[in-house]
Amino acid sequence: MYELLLAGIENVLQAKYFVPLALGTLIGILGGALPGITNTMTVIMVLPFTFGLEPLQGLSAMIGVYVGGESGGLITSCLLGIPGKPSSIATMFDGFPMSQKGEPGRALWLGIWASFFGGLLGAIFLIGTTEPLARMALEFGPWEYFSLFVFALSMVAGLTGDSITKGLLAGAIGLVVTVMGNDPVMGQPRLTLGIRFLEGGIPFLPVLIGVFAFAQIMSDVERIGKARDPLTGFVAPRLVVSHAKVIWEILSRPFLLLWTSFVGVLIGVLPGIGGSAANVMAYDQAKKFSRHPERFGTGTPEGIIASEAANNSNVGGSLVTIMAFGIPGDAVTAVMLGALTIHGIQPGPLFISQEPKLAYGIFAAYVIAHFLMIVILFIGVRWFLLIVTVPKSILFPVILVLCVIGAFALDNTMSNVYVLLLFGLVGYGMVKGGLPLAPLILGVILGDQIEINLIRSIMTDSNPWLFVTRPISGGLLAAAVASMAFAFWQHRRAKRA
Amino acid sequence: MSRDGITGLAVLAASLVLFGLTLELKQNPLVPIGPGFYPRIVLGITAVLAAALVVFDFLGAKQTRKTQVINYSLVLAVFAIFGLYVGALPFLGFRIATFVFMAVLQTALDLPRNKKGWIVVAVTAFVTTAVTYIVFEHYLHVLLPRGRWTDF
Repeated sequence: MYELLLAGIENVLQAKYFVPLALGTLIGILGGALPGITNTMTVIMVLPFTFGLEPLQGLSAMIGVYVGGESGGLITSCLLGIPGKPSSIATMFDGFPMSQKGEPGRALWLGIWASFFGGLLGAIFLIGTTEPLARMALEFGPWEYFSLFVFALSMVAGLTGDSITKGLLAGAIGLVVTVMGNDPVMGQPRLTLGIRFLEGGIPFLPVLIGVFAFAQIMSDVERIGKARDPLTGFVAPRLVVSHAKVIWEILSRPFLLLWTSFVGVLIGVLPGIGGSAANVMAYDQAKKFSRHPERFGTGTPEGIIASEAANNSNVGGSLVTIMAFGIPGDAVTAVMLGALTIHGIQPGPLFISQEPKLAYGIFAAYVIAHFLMIVILFIGVRWFLLIVTVPKSILFPVILVLCVIGAFALDNTMSNVYVLLLFGLVGYGMVKGGLPLAPLILGVILGDQIEINLIRSIMTDSNPWLFVTRPISGGLLAAAVASMAFAFWQHRRAKRA
Repeated sequence: MSRDGITGLAVLAASLVLFGLTLELKQNPLVPIGPGFYPRIVLGITAVLAAALVVFDFLGAKQTRKTQVINYSLVLAVFAIFGLYVGALPFLGFRIATFVFMAVLQTALDLPRNKKGWIVVAVTAFVTTAVTYIVFEHYLHVLLPRGRWTDF
């Protein structure tokens, strides 16, 4: 394993992989720093650039974006009190007060170095667990796969949004999208509504791009001219800091770093929950374990370390589920899944054994991206603060053009661009209707696999009890029920509070 | 009826219509499971969940939502401009359609107040179009749409 990892690192250090990785990290940091531009948006923007590249080049760029984005978000959280993205919200609780007390450099670099160490701990988990988990998944039959996908969908539907019914409904709408087109057994067209381009089914990437890009852009557009831009008149502060002191501040709290990184990884492994939950939950954990919980929210270093270590280690967890099971941990890995399928590579249990060079290249890129993130931020953090003031009136049209290119370039047809527009409307409509987007996307991604494995299992043995009596399948279905019960309990508790 | 109830009703109606369409799908005698088997399960679940949303909305306590000032006319304008861009792409081609789209959308989002503002709009539109075209067509070998009317 370690030989493969070293070979992967050697491979990624070649200019043709290193340059996309470095550029991706830079773009990720910038995207992360721009309030309102999430990692998903940034990776969607980068996606079309990867079509003409080798798979590892494209994935290196995306991993760079992912790692850079998780760290970039803390810049505005700490210095402006505006989270660059949802997974930096808890960082702001202590980062901004610390900056206001006259220590913006310390606040920022505590976050950056905590991201670095948290990310590396996530990498250890990623490298150590992906192969054993993939080996375990190789034993799965169609019953287990069906139950695994149902479990993943129930997790996302139950734990995202403000209502379980809405989460489940959004997931079900995602599944409906996948039944349009030819049926997987005999290829008979179904529910195409007489529209020709629907006969081939609806590809998930234009759906994902449309839903996320429009939902986010339109949510910002609707406030243009109605709310004051918080970046108006912003002047970048001086960020003088002793790095040795900051690193010691983090490493002298080993339990905090390890535990919150573990929380991040664990949440990353659970599909669809994402860095924002990791960030907040790790902060909450740090507060619970602290001897001085009353200091949280006033600029305590523990708050910054916990939240940033968690959201970067979360990336490692998300990559585990996609590489071992083919299930995206969040929207960013969903785009990466799309990029892989464009190159004819199917992530899943066989991925690591069939594509070891690519798999270990991904591990290596993930590790190297953290070092690049430190170097890039060291050189340019002050300049990035100026770039965040780019007007939305310039940014949004550019993003939409890149979305169109991304959809068109999938197979050089306009039909994917029409799907993009259609699901842009659907995505915005869902936001307005209060339906969460993550379950919809997971439904669209997993729908085909759920149907294929359901049909395969019924055609192998028509006994429906096998889904329950086979130990792993039954366990996964029980876990799905338990996750729903947990979600019900959590929602009831939140309502009472 | 609140937002949830309206959403539930819309999804319920759509899922029932699609469910009705699955009944027209013909069963193939060669396979035990027809093409409508799985869609019916999925649409059935969707309809039940949508109905549940309507019922919960009907039974639940009415919540007073914070009123936000929302610029829906601008949202509508952005969708319309994007729709026109998508519609124009096969006819005008990527370069012309993108230049016009960039200029029009920038103007719609933030109307230039002076000559400098208009220059920024034009330069941004030109640079975005040129850079994306050169990068994708020449370096990444991604073919971008050609115009049926313009052949450009």
